[in-house]
Amino acid sequence: MRDVSFGQYYPVPSPIHRLDPRTKLLSVIIYIVTLFFINTFTGFGIAALFLLIIILISKVPLGKVLKSVKAVLFLLIFTFLFTFLFVKGEPDKLIWEWGIIHLYWDRLFVSAKLCIRLLLLVLGPALLTLTTTPMELTDGVESLLKPLALIKVPVHSLAIIMSIALRLIPTLMEETDKIINAQKARCADFDSGNIFKRAKAMLPVLIPLFVSSFRRADDLADAMDSRCYRGAKGRTRMRVLKFRFSDFVMLFFMAVLLTAMLFLKYNWFNWAFIAVLV
Amino acid sequence: MSIEIEKLRYVYSPKTPFEKVALNDVTFTIEDGDFFGIIGHTGSGKSTLVSHLNALTRVMSGKITVDGVDITPKKIDFKALRSKVGMVFQYPEYQLFADTVEKDVEFGCKNIGIADAECKERVKEAIELVGLDYEQVKDRSPFELSGGQKRRVALAGVLAMRPKVLVLDEPTAGLDPKGKREIMNLVRDIRKSCPTTVMISHNMDEVAEYCNKIAVMSDGKLYGVFTPNELFGKGELLKSLGLSVPKVTSIANRLADCGFDIDRGIVRADELVKAIENAVGGKGAEKCAT
Ligand SMILES: Nc1ncnc2c1ncn2[C@@H]1O[C@H](COP(=O)(O)OP(=O)(O)OP(=O)(O)O)[C@@H](O)[C@H]1O
Ligand SMILES: [Mg+2]
Repeated sequence: MRDVSFGQYYPVPSPIHRLDPRTKLLSVIIYIVTLFFINTFTGFGIAALFLLIIILISKVPLGKVLKSVKAVLFLLIFTFLFTFLFVKGEPDKLIWEWGIIHLYWDRLFVSAKLCIRLLLLVLGPALLTLTTTPMELTDGVESLLKPLALIKVPVHSLAIIMSIALRLIPTLMEETDKIINAQKARCADFDSGNIFKRAKAMLPVLIPLFVSSFRRADDLADAMDSRCYRGAKGRTRMRVLKFRFSDFVMLFFMAVLLTAMLFLKYNWFNWAFIAVLV
Repeated sequence: MSIEIEKLRYVYSPKTPFEKVALNDVTFTIEDGDFFGIIGHTGSGKSTLVSHLNALTRVMSGKITVDGVDITPKKIDFKALRSKVGMVFQYPEYQLFADTVEKDVEFGCKNIGIADAECKERVKEAIELVGLDYEQVKDRSPFELSGGQKRRVALAGVLAMRPKVLVLDEPTAGLDPKGKREIMNLVRDIRKSCPTTVMISHNMDEVAEYCNKIAVMSDGKLYGVFTPNELFGKGELLKSLGLSVPKVTSIANRLADCGFDIDRGIVRADELVKAIENAVGGKGAEKCAT
């Protein structure tokens, strides 16, 4: 079970891994916003190329990144089929029709664009989690949400809950593994019988797991108490987040991407070459 | 009942950045009646090694034969194997789950399909074997027992399957010296009914006192299998592997350093006393005084 290690952080040294988590979070947000402005194949092409370059810089194997598509593959296929087969397009673009199924040239393009957008939408955040540890992400989120503390949102508490939860997931998985092995050593059978039998067979695993989770929570609370934890007030951090030059470079490129896409869509100055591209 | 391990190799998370060779080309044999110790620094692969013995970890490459049966194939009789090789993990008290001690102890016994009447008998026997009072504890919740008692109940749960080999992963971890001694004496008693025992330990005193053979692991490799006297006579080698010698041996070494005629490989207190008696009055005494 530990083989399915939590999260999917891919530990290699790369400039992307070293970026400040806030930069990466902001970049992903900008990236997602940008995708919603794009409506042409040229635009998608540029965005995909941009993403590809980032992936290459991050040294994460392309296959690893593409794996995250698996989770939404079903959704992608369905979206494509439904928006293509069952919706009517311009009458003169008709290819073939049979009952409720219509094939239109223009619908084909619309559906394809929809799918490409979905695909690109998934890949960006996937790269974020591949290059950023869950801990860094929580730190980043906390730091970005700090302004909300002004309107009495308990940002710090939420962040610490999140980081404890994230921290404990692998521990619990390890623990589950151990308990399963211990019960298997007593010949427990987890994979035969009907679903009720199997659910019942999990009891000898779940009960010790709950017991130890409560014990762990208790111990952690004691440990935090004895280290005088009192929440956010006056608390300093061990890992101080700091923007560096590369962070500004990254954000600059994101801004360029967003602006370029806005120009591509609205062509405010009626530049001729954009009209050609589109 | 003997266990033969041949060229065993195991890799965690192969072909990922987390790849870790936990065992590399490990070959040795545990013979019938052995009290077999396994020592090695943290992360040297001891737990991984023993979890192969009852097929909780499957053989990746190499071969293991338990009681003449090859357990390398994918499909084997798990119940037969696991009731034959009783495995007690580190901190076994964390696996207790039932609402009474009796139900917890009979879990394994029931799983291998023993009839209720015989199960009851075995449970009673097992609880008494681990030094608890059957009538007193059988209806109590295992969660309200003390740490040491819980560990005994967990041990009884494995013994109720009447294993032929008992595998213990650091059975005395986290106990006080008295608790340690009690558990070790218990293990010695258990050997009357289950003579072959494999024990992982970080405590050299225990290993030296109880085991007749000791395997030394280092970074996933087997350094060798020795008798206690052979092994602990090599103080320097042990140090280089991040291990220490038993207290008795270190006293013997100190005395030998002072010039007494004492064997450096002595591991048992009674042997040391005899050796000192022989050496006293010998020529070393004046040397040490200066
Ligand atoms: N489930 C696992 N996934 C990945 N690596 C593991 C796993 N279990 C153990 N390892 C690694 O395999 C190596 C051997 O581990 P093992 O638990 O066998 O050591 P050990 O000798 O029992 O150590 P200890 O004395 O601390 O109990 C270690 O480096 C460990 O980090
Ligand atoms: Mg271990």
